[in-house]
Amino acid sequence: MATTVEQERPEAASTEEALLRQRLRRERINKLVFRFLGYVFFLGIWEFASGRILEEALIPGPTRVAQTIGDIWGRGDVPDAFRATLLRIFVGFTISFLIGAIIGIISQNRWLEGFFKDAVLVSLTAPGLIWALITAIVFGNREIGPIIAIVLTTFALVTVNVSEGIRALPKDLVDMGKAFDVGLLRRNRHIVIPHLAPYLFTGLRFGFSIAWKVTVLTEVFSSSRGIGFEMRLATQLFQTDEFLAWVLMFFFFALFLEKVVLQAFERRFFRWRQEVAAA
Amino acid sequence: MANVARKLSAPRRGVGNAFWSFMKSPGFARMLFPVAVILFWLGAMNVIISIWPFMAEVLPTPLEVWGAMWDELIDPFVDGIQAATRANVYATFGRSLIRLGAGFAIAMVLGTIIGLAMGLSKSVDAFFHDWVMAILAMPALAWALFLSLAFGFGHTGPILTVILTGIPFVIVNIREGVRNTPRELFDMARSYQVPQQRITRHVLVPSLMPFMFAAVRYAFSIGWKGLVIAEVFGGQDGAGWTIKFWYDAHRAHAVVGYAFFFILFAIVLEKIVFDPIQRRVFKWRPQITNLQLVEKMFDEPRLALDMATVADASAQPDGEGDRIDG
Amino acid sequence: MAEISVRNLHKEFGIGADKVVALENVNLEVGGHVFVSIVGPSGCGKSTLLNILSGIETPTSGKVEITQEGHEAAPGYVFQAARLLPWRTVLDNLLFVQKEQTAETRARCQRYLEMVQLGDKGTKYPGELSGGMQQRVGIARAFSIEPDVLFMDEPFSHLDAITARSLRRELHEMWKETRKTVLFVTHDVGEAVELSNRIVVFAKGGKLEDDITVDLPFPRDPADERVAVAKAQVLRKFEELDLVAT
Repeated sequence: MATTVEQERPEAASTEEALLRQRLRRERINKLVFRFLGYVFFLGIWEFASGRILEEALIPGPTRVAQTIGDIWGRGDVPDAFRATLLRIFVGFTISFLIGAIIGIISQNRWLEGFFKDAVLVSLTAPGLIWALITAIVFGNREIGPIIAIVLTTFALVTVNVSEGIRALPKDLVDMGKAFDVGLLRRNRHIVIPHLAPYLFTGLRFGFSIAWKVTVLTEVFSSSRGIGFEMRLATQLFQTDEFLAWVLMFFFFALFLEKVVLQAFERRFFRWRQEVAAA
Repeated sequence: MANVARKLSAPRRGVGNAFWSFMKSPGFARMLFPVAVILFWLGAMNVIISIWPFMAEVLPTPLEVWGAMWDELIDPFVDGIQAATRANVYATFGRSLIRLGAGFAIAMVLGTIIGLAMGLSKSVDAFFHDWVMAILAMPALAWALFLSLAFGFGHTGPILTVILTGIPFVIVNIREGVRNTPRELFDMARSYQVPQQRITRHVLVPSLMPFMFAAVRYAFSIGWKGLVIAEVFGGQDGAGWTIKFWYDAHRAHAVVGYAFFFILFAIVLEKIVFDPIQRRVFKWRPQITNLQLVEKMFDEPRLALDMATVADASAQPDGEGDRIDG
Repeated sequence: MAEISVRNLHKEFGIGADKVVALENVNLEVGGHVFVSIVGPSGCGKSTLLNILSGIETPTSGKVEITQEGHEAAPGYVFQAARLLPWRTVLDNLLFVQKEQTAETRARCQRYLEMVQLGDKGTKYPGELSGGMQQRVGIARAFSIEPDVLFMDEPFSHLDAITARSLRRELHEMWKETRKTVLFVTHDVGEAVELSNRIVVFAKGGKLEDDITVDLPFPRDPADERVAVAKAQVLRKFEELDLVAT
């Protein structure tokens, strides 16, 4: 019983090459076309549904929303609202990051780790909604409400990251530093901190991603300024177009911060890590 | 370690020594935490009330909160006006779960179809990609509020919210499952001339299982979080609506009490339902750390779910207790 | 036993500036109860040759023919990484590649596991075994379909020296008993000299440079002087080729 495989040599290597190149180019164009079609499709459905399937008041189309965004900008409400919300996010998340990092560091002690174990567990699994409601009912519209909600929802992410980072500290590198008599400060600067940096950064990114969502949620219940407040206002006044305008404005801004700013930062400073991950 | 040294050098009375070593154990620390929380709670209340006396009305004491919870828990077993006005905690969560189930089922079916298509075809992937990512990043709050505006109060808003929050996770995971099929195992099977049907059954399907499971797990968890927010703004009953009810009624102790129910529910879901299933289904998998799990969970849910398998330290050799799962 | 015939085999990857010639005009005839080693530096196309022979890849041009007497056993293939299905037990992994899954084939698989001293590990998952054990399972799997031809791609390169050594001995015993045709790729010249009747030398760029017959009697002890001499001879050939090849 025989198995045979036979192939004739193709006539010219160049035609084979050319074919391959053509195919790759066609694939790229294909992808762009479909991507464009995707936008046309979804925006089209949205626009269509707005007028025909449901009333315009219930689902304003993309054009209407774009118009409204312009109107709101014109009114001058945007900078104030954004400022209020962003301030809360940054203050709240900074505190959360510090607390989370400290707990992560002291959790290297097993007793303390046991002590904080449930706190971290609850923070990771409980819906942010409950913190929003509790702080709203206890603190009313005071600034401290959203800040506490942010801390409670996000500190655990930072803790987990920091904890793992410390646990994964490359002891052999540190020992090497000691063996070569490198001073403590330099050791920290060149070994410990660069090692921990990616972990810290990861905690930063995910924490932030959650922080802004929780902030807006808390503002919906309790605040008198800010994006969440504007959203609540628009909802209560049944102004769907204004509601969508605020949501989309903030959504794109947050997306911008998350993806563009932080990811670009990460890519630039932590390129070596990505290479390891890709390997 | 310190205990051993102590035992060797200075023998003490048996009972005293055991007590001391227990106090030093992490297990004890864990039990100490809730006590510390309550003490902190009372202490903070005292401080706040002394500065702002009017807060005494607003702030709930642990006892009040426990009272509210207790009433809910024993409600089915006693008669009373409570049962008449609105459902107790069991029925409430039950209703929410039903909605979650409905939305979850739809999200799984639709999401799997789209995910498969995206994984198999680059064109389809290009078509949907940006939109899936956009929906993935959209907070549940936005869906909840928007759908409450569009659909008023009822089932539609919450169920749609579940679908919208969960479906991107399903899609992304299934897509990655398709893309990450282990080529080398297929090659191996083909070099042994294993028939296609057996390859599909024993190589393709099992390789998709982790992603499938991850899709289920996250559609459920994230869907739940979205559901309660939706019920807050657009529901007529259910867990989210109820906690909002108490909030509107300014019953802080009931709000906190219900919050505890939420926490309990979330923990049960994660640790008692999903973790054991995960462990059993994937007992063949090598272990990964919790950091990798949490890290990937939001940013690259696909990879997270790829690795979201046996991330439970109770099976790890160092014998630690529960570690935190994402 | 089987006959393997390779004629004018040519394999390229990529296009234009990225083009890589993996195999260049290879001609090779292997047949009967032989153990043939294919040696060469990395990037000389040894693995590609094996992939083509086992049907995983197709040649750019040329002819490959494998003739087996009698039954239609597929060739057995042992990979560098064990390539076991992680979600099935060890025994199931062997069963997976059998033509039929009967009680009889099951018993046969168990016997082959015992042959590699893993008889008691049948119910374990690959994740529970060490690298060396996984590799042994891979070998048992390849032997368990009782093929006439066996292709092995650097199966011991990832193992520690002691494990590799004992596995080489096991492999040799199994080859001696079952009278197969074995094509064994390795970068370790010593290993090749220890195990083979014939050593085929490839240079970088996929050219078959030399075909050496090793006439020493079996079993061969690596510590034996004659083996060392043979190894030195082959290594010298290598150096010659290095000067010639670019």
